[in-house]
Amino acid sequence: MRILLVEDEKKVADIIVRGLKAERFAVDVCHDGPSGWAAAAAYNYDLIILDLMLPGLSGTEILEKIRRKNQQVPVLILTARDGMADKIKNFETGADDYLTKPFAFAELLLRLKALLRRGPVSRASVLRVNDLEIDRLSQNVKRAGKRIELTSKEYALLEYLATQPNRVFSRTMIIEHVWDQSFQGLTNIVDVYVRHLREKVDDAFPVKLLRTVRGVGYSLNDGTQV
Amino acid sequence: MNMRSISFRLVAWHAGLLTAIFMLLCAGLYLNLKHFLENDLRQTQARRTRQIANTLLAHVKQTGEPYVASQTKDWFDPEVNDRFIRITRADGTLVYVSGAPKDGSFDPAEVPISRPSTAREYSHKLKLSGGSTLLVAALNFKSSGNPGYLVEFGALLDPVESMLDHLFLQLALGLPLAVSIITAGGYLLVCRALTPVEQITRAAERITQHNLSDRLPVSHTGDELERLSVSLNRMITRLDGAFQNSQRFVADASHDLRTPLTILRGELESFAADARLDSELRDRAGSMLEEAAHLGKIVEQLFTLSRLDAGEAQTEWISFDLSELARTTAEQMGLLAEDKGIAIVCDAGQPVPVKGSQVRLKQVVVNLLGNAIKYTPENGAVQLRVLADNGHAVLEVEDNGPGIPPAALPHIFERFYRVDKARAADSESAGLGLAIVKSICTAHGAEVTVQSSAGCGSCFRVKLPLFKD
Repeated sequence: MRILLVEDEKKVADIIVRGLKAERFAVDVCHDGPSGWAAAAAYNYDLIILDLMLPGLSGTEILEKIRRKNQQVPVLILTARDGMADKIKNFETGADDYLTKPFAFAELLLRLKALLRRGPVSRASVLRVNDLEIDRLSQNVKRAGKRIELTSKEYALLEYLATQPNRVFSRTMIIEHVWDQSFQGLTNIVDVYVRHLREKVDDAFPVKLLRTVRGVGYSLNDGTQV
Repeated sequence: MNMRSISFRLVAWHAGLLTAIFMLLCAGLYLNLKHFLENDLRQTQARRTRQIANTLLAHVKQTGEPYVASQTKDWFDPEVNDRFIRITRADGTLVYVSGAPKDGSFDPAEVPISRPSTAREYSHKLKLSGGSTLLVAALNFKSSGNPGYLVEFGALLDPVESMLDHLFLQLALGLPLAVSIITAGGYLLVCRALTPVEQITRAAERITQHNLSDRLPVSHTGDELERLSVSLNRMITRLDGAFQNSQRFVADASHDLRTPLTILRGELESFAADARLDSELRDRAGSMLEEAAHLGKIVEQLFTLSRLDAGEAQTEWISFDLSELARTTAEQMGLLAEDKGIAIVCDAGQPVPVKGSQVRLKQVVVNLLGNAIKYTPENGAVQLRVLADNGHAVLEVEDNGPGIPPAALPHIFERFYRVDKARAADSESAGLGLAIVKSICTAHGAEVTVQSSAGCGSCFRVKLPLFKD
């Protein structure tokens, strides 16, 4: 899997490259518009991450050129502007996804994997994490064979975390997925739900599955990592 | 009609001045003419008396008095010409008196003898019983060898008077007519001249921050109004420029703040996730991440506010049921309240249709409910009500918390304002929640008010226009 990253902020690019390399992706980086377009035209990448504000040639212009060449490569837009009009315009031009800075790397990775269809979102009807069992059809949750009663929001939160065990989900990601963007200013709602979930899922068991990563978010640990 | 409008005042002044000038002119004309006509008649009469005296009475010794009488009658034929002629001797006895005129307008016998006067010539007016006025010129004729005579020659003033009456009537009728025609014409002219002002006013009313690219109509007449609209347009251009500058500033600031935040966050995340570091260091990185997230949130909220200020596109506006929105939001926030043992009582049974951005209005409910839950002590109660009231959709969030001090009430919708400064340090909010509520409400043509008394809780009330299709 080879990814092209076009980002003029060197430090931002470094962070993304480091993270992607850790996930065993091959990454090429360009720091301005023209070289980005040249790279995109020269090689068939599996995915392109485009910053919008680039010297020489804007991300939108590169995207237009790519789509005019009829390349089907998935394009993820990174932007420091999140005006609705910008968003709509870029989706119309052919962007596949859109991420506003500042973002959690976990979120970038999640969206990227979704675009690459590497199946980050498990479609299995039963999710298993350690001794926890989540039946997506009946919405039944069992731990060590014992039934756990959850409210619908608690269930949605648990299921979301269980789609990628050990992956840390930021509060913003959780809010956008389980609630909606109206709750943006109310991140403590996640903390409250996680606490309640913990009481039901973890309190009675020696192995704690729900893990807090301070400042980052929450993950559902399958017990293989400490 | 607006009594203070320029057109009204202009026309009123105009009409008043015209009336005054016309009345002065007419009065002058009337009086002058009257004086001239009477004087003219008087002089004619005097000439006649002199004629009688100089040509007839001067030779009375040779011709005798009867000749004078008959000649006078022949010359002037007073009965036919409606004249009055009388010649008397100094002792008051008659030499000649004309007969009654043919039209019977006066009776000569009725005319009293003019009072003797030392003046040689004089005249006077006589009001007769028939209502007519006789102007009489008199002449004292004395010469050596005769006893002296008084010659009187009179004519009716009636033709002069009726002519003057006629003139008066015409002026009295013509003046108001002329003034009203001129006033009406003036009013029309003024209105026509001021129509562009009305157009400019209406066009100016329509210009808001969302259509600053529009311009006022300019009539190319070269007058003051053209200059006015041109300079107003220049002002709007400058405003437009300033507004675009500030929007560009927000966009640029957005970029410039977000990029370092991204870097900060990315670096800290890699620290926090780095298993090689010891847990205390990772925890500290996490603590910094929390602050970075807080900073990110403030930046986010500020941009939300700027976007609302700049006037968000209304493309996502739809009509929906505010009650349902309130119910689902209350349900979603239920656990947050439950966590503090607070019961949310939701009274939103009736459908209340409104039009707007569902995401934004939900944000209003979330922010108000979130505040209510945050500031209500454990085991308190929060009430959420949605109702249709008098053409308005009303959403109320009431809590029984500590309330808001009266001094703070006027400021709570201000940006970064906090009621309790001491709690600001450890609180995770930036004091922008209510400012966002206010901005969203303004964008929706809604009004948000608060009622509170210390110790008795607070009630936030949002009043939106009810949607009707």
